Amino acid sequence: MSDPCRSAPLLQLAGVHKSFGAVRALKGVSFELFGGEVHALVGENGAGKSTLVKLVTGALRPDAGEIEIMGNRVAHLNPARAHKLGVTCIYQQPALFADLTVAENLWLRLEAPGALGRVDWSACRRRAGQWLERIGAAISPDSEIRHLSMPEQQLVEIACALGTGARIVIMDEPTASLTQKEQHLLFSVVRNLRQNGAGILYISHRLEEVFTVADRVTVLRDGQSVGTNRMEELTKAALIRSMVGREVSDTAPPCGGAARDLVLALRHLGCSASGVRDVNLEVRSGEVVGLAGLVGAGWTELARVLFGITPADSGELQLNGRAVSISSPRDAIDRRIAYLPEDRRRHGVILDMSLAQNITLAIHRRLFPRGWLRPRAERQLAGDSLRALNVKAGGPDALAASLSGGNQQKVALARWLATQPELLILDEPTQGVDIGTKREIHRRIRDLANQGVAVLLISSDLPEVLDVSDRICVMRNGTMVATLPPKTGAHTVMAYALGQKGAAV
Amino acid sequence: MDKTVHADNSSRKGWFLNSPWLRHESLLLLILVLEWLYFNSVGPRFGTLENTYDILRHSSEIGLLALALTPVILTGGIDLSVGSLLGLCAILFGKLWRDAHLPVWEAAAAALGFGAAGGAVNAWFITKLRLPPLIVTLGTLSLFRGLAEAVTHGVDTFTGFPGSFLALGQGQIFGLPAQLPLLFVGAVVIWLMVHSTVLGRSWRAIGFAAEGARYAGIPVGRRVALVYVLAGIISGLAAVIYTARLGQAKADAGTGYELFAITAVVLGGTSIFGGIGSVHGTLLGVAAIAVLSNGLVHARQPREVAGMLTGALLLIALAASVLAKNLANNRRR
Amino acid sequence: MNAHVREISVALALGLILLALAIFADSFYQPQPLLSLVTGQAPALIVTCGVALVMIARQIDISIGSQMAVCSVCTGLLAAANWPLGLVLIAAIGLGALLGAINGLFVAVLRLPSIVVTLATMVTWREALRWQRQGAFVNLPDGLQWFGMSQTHGQLTIVISALVVLFLLGLSTRHLAAGRFIYAVGSDVEAARLAGIRPQLVTFLVFVGMGALTGLAATLHIVQSPQVDPNSGTGLELKAIAAAVVGGVAISGGRGNLWAVFLGFLLLACVSPALIHLHIEAYWERAIAGAIILAAILADGLEKQTARFSHPRTPSVANG
Repeated sequence: MSDPCRSAPLLQLAGVHKSFGAVRALKGVSFELFGGEVHALVGENGAGKSTLVKLVTGALRPDAGEIEIMGNRVAHLNPARAHKLGVTCIYQQPALFADLTVAENLWLRLEAPGALGRVDWSACRRRAGQWLERIGAAISPDSEIRHLSMPEQQLVEIACALGTGARIVIMDEPTASLTQKEQHLLFSVVRNLRQNGAGILYISHRLEEVFTVADRVTVLRDGQSVGTNRMEELTKAALIRSMVGREVSDTAPPCGGAARDLVLALRHLGCSASGVRDVNLEVRSGEVVGLAGLVGAGWTELARVLFGITPADSGELQLNGRAVSISSPRDAIDRRIAYLPEDRRRHGVILDMSLAQNITLAIHRRLFPRGWLRPRAERQLAGDSLRALNVKAGGPDALAASLSGGNQQKVALARWLATQPELLILDEPTQGVDIGTKREIHRRIRDLANQGVAVLLISSDLPEVLDVSDRICVMRNGTMVATLPPKTGAHTVMAYALGQKGAAV
Repeated sequence: MDKTVHADNSSRKGWFLNSPWLRHESLLLLILVLEWLYFNSVGPRFGTLENTYDILRHSSEIGLLALALTPVILTGGIDLSVGSLLGLCAILFGKLWRDAHLPVWEAAAAALGFGAAGGAVNAWFITKLRLPPLIVTLGTLSLFRGLAEAVTHGVDTFTGFPGSFLALGQGQIFGLPAQLPLLFVGAVVIWLMVHSTVLGRSWRAIGFAAEGARYAGIPVGRRVALVYVLAGIISGLAAVIYTARLGQAKADAGTGYELFAITAVVLGGTSIFGGIGSVHGTLLGVAAIAVLSNGLVHARQPREVAGMLTGALLLIALAASVLAKNLANNRRR
Repeated sequence: MNAHVREISVALALGLILLALAIFADSFYQPQPLLSLVTGQAPALIVTCGVALVMIARQIDISIGSQMAVCSVCTGLLAAANWPLGLVLIAAIGLGALLGAINGLFVAVLRLPSIVVTLATMVTWREALRWQRQGAFVNLPDGLQWFGMSQTHGQLTIVISALVVLFLLGLSTRHLAAGRFIYAVGSDVEAARLAGIRPQLVTFLVFVGMGALTGLAATLHIVQSPQVDPNSGTGLELKAIAAAVVGGVAISGGRGNLWAVFLGFLLLACVSPALIHLHIEAYWERAIAGAIILAAILADGLEKQTARFSHPRTPSVANG
């Protein structure tokens, strides 16, 4: 690996602070990216990585501190300016035109044509083909984006980045959905970029990758930079240690008592459509099982199988000892399974409806047995739910849109608690929620467990999982890799999640 | 990271702005009252009971279609074929009565069945094949009208219905126009479905967030299919009343009715995107349009002015509700 | 291969009909009646191209029938007032563009849904026209019919003009950046904005263009007879949208090309004369047209299943 050009950093952050309300995302972070190097940025979820990226791309402005790009101090950065200054970011969700061809997408993004310009299709196609060839992607420039798989679309995004001739390239979890072969392609592209003098900010959870492709690595923890080292100076274990930092908190979860009835048992459960395979899991009433692992490890996919959205096609699912098959959300709800989805915008609280209407949305059959609405009963139930969860609102008839994010999430939870589930699956219940509401929700989860509900907690927030769960199951690549006892150290969990420990999957 | 806590908008002013549909209907009621007062002062025969009955008679079919379309639009869909389905049902009704010699009321019941079948065709394309309602019903609009023309060979007309049947459209019950009870029952049934039953709640949820409704266990496919079949049945009913009123069934029955029906629904405050809307709003919308066109005749204005004003009214009402929504949104931030 | 399935199937269907006519009713192919038939359809072709562009931009315009009527009558009146033909043409296009701009204002600037806006303008223009004319035809000056040329020459001019418009539009949507912007906006408004395109402006101009094309079509229409019927254009929007749908334009925007739309237009335009010449009762025309439309969207629906991309698209301009 050649020495990165040490003349002047392409990108420099000095003492950067950023807060969102009461939450301090970045506390005085300093960072440097030189041309000709691949600089990895690692840290747990919530450590501040995405905030840092947004500051560099201009989507956010720092509260304090300085940003320098190509040696010039940049005061008011916005995405358009950042783009002009040579910053480009490759996201996981490509911003491509689904109905247009690859060549046309590249043309629109890269050549910023004037309205009266002529389109030279053969040249366009040729250039697109060249860019695709440079990154070794076997994609025809004439394919429509909507016919490409996600990994192929990402490669097109990368070709775009290549085409902009950007000097500062940010890659945010670029290999999340790539196959082995495609990953190798990506690494050669990265090396290519580096050789041409670009500086690459590489964000990834996959430590093997970081060790393969990066020159230096900076660890972020709780909004601060813990250290920047050259890759040769570190071992994987040391890296994990600095990412995780402190040990498990002292707030030992009050255990709900001895093992009770087996509510859910999964044996070799799989769903080929969603990538879930060979999952073995047991959840008893009164216990909170935390599902840990990295984003994309397969939790939400597993939840969707359990909830009947993408039904299982292999293995066995047992509820209370009896093998069942769950074919729709209605089916799952009837079997006393509840699922609080991760995608709040599309599947969460309906903003234009009232709180009462939202809370009763899943229990129509029970609350309104003859089909007639019963406003008084509804309002009463909603009022009770809101009080139980301590939601600050103007009453059950208030519109959901008038609530804060944290309170909206409580209402979403209320909807599912109203179904009186035996098994409650929570998918990222406290993501984006303020710390006070977070604690409340945790307390409520423990209360539910104490009342006998079996809880499956999916969360990318490791401290949360450690705090609240009785047991921890680690997922990786769509399958369960470990079941860990309570009070397992965060370090150990991460090791399994990152694949350092346990069988290769 | 959480955003700052939002202001509690349940204060009276915030509440007022936050319920655009309520405000919309009040505005419409105001317009209706103003129309009535104006035409009353300008046209001597306008405010009479007899004229009111006239208005009711002439607007009952469009009123029924507007009622039928309200649940459809609530779910975020649309049905352009209701007018053509009316024509097809009218023709089939006539044919069953005249050529198959079915008793007239049985043929009328069959007309409702045909309406249900037509609605089921729409429902199948939209829910099973997941095709966009706008284009599906554009296709069935042509198909139904075309079948009506085919059955009548383009020229046939069915007339000579028995007096007892024609009384439905032209006669009276207890001094009221005979179709009024049917219209009333229809309005009550639809109102109850939309506002007092689980169906209406599901429809709104589907209109706001179809995927989210599915995750909440609502049988989206079934609920959506129901609105189109229901619209079909009501088209059949409207076909019977239309035939009774005019005394004849022709293939061009109901041409253009869907447009007035949609206008009434949107004017009444139902959002074309779904979720928001009310049956009383729709009825107000129908009334506003009907009173406008009737009143202009009494004011000795040409009929066409009614159409123009209706169009303009629709645009203004829409623009007003969008602006109100934006105002509410900005306050929220 | 995949991309041309629609064109091929429509061309096949069209070919079948033409073949059937050649075998069973070659009276269809007599030059003069065929030319008259084609000439009568030429204005509709121009309008169809326009509405196809509107749909590609993920909007819809059901007011084009009324726009056509208004433009026809107004230009007829100007012609009757002995304005020179060139000015009449310019006035027609200008008036159409103005009507289109009104639609565009409500849709692109005020962000109202296009289905309702064009519903409102459709009713308003039609009623305004009816009020003004009271059904009275406009008598055109003698020299106006067929541009003052012989009938055959006039007809050829009209047909060629329509084909030229088709050609120009087809080329510019393919090779002019502005044309591709329409596809971009129809496909994904946010991505278009990020790529530096101004979606509101594009949408507004598409409606203006639609109106201008209607004005042009109106002029080509009025020179075909000595009078202007104020009821012309009724049902035009349905025919045009149907042709676009059959030609593969999706209501969801971003897809479709004008050559396929041309084939779809020909297919639907053939149905009626084919029925006449094959001695099938003409009243089957609308039912068959409806069946063709449903078959087309069925194919669209099936094709959608094969697309692996389930990208949550940002809503259209009107949804804000």
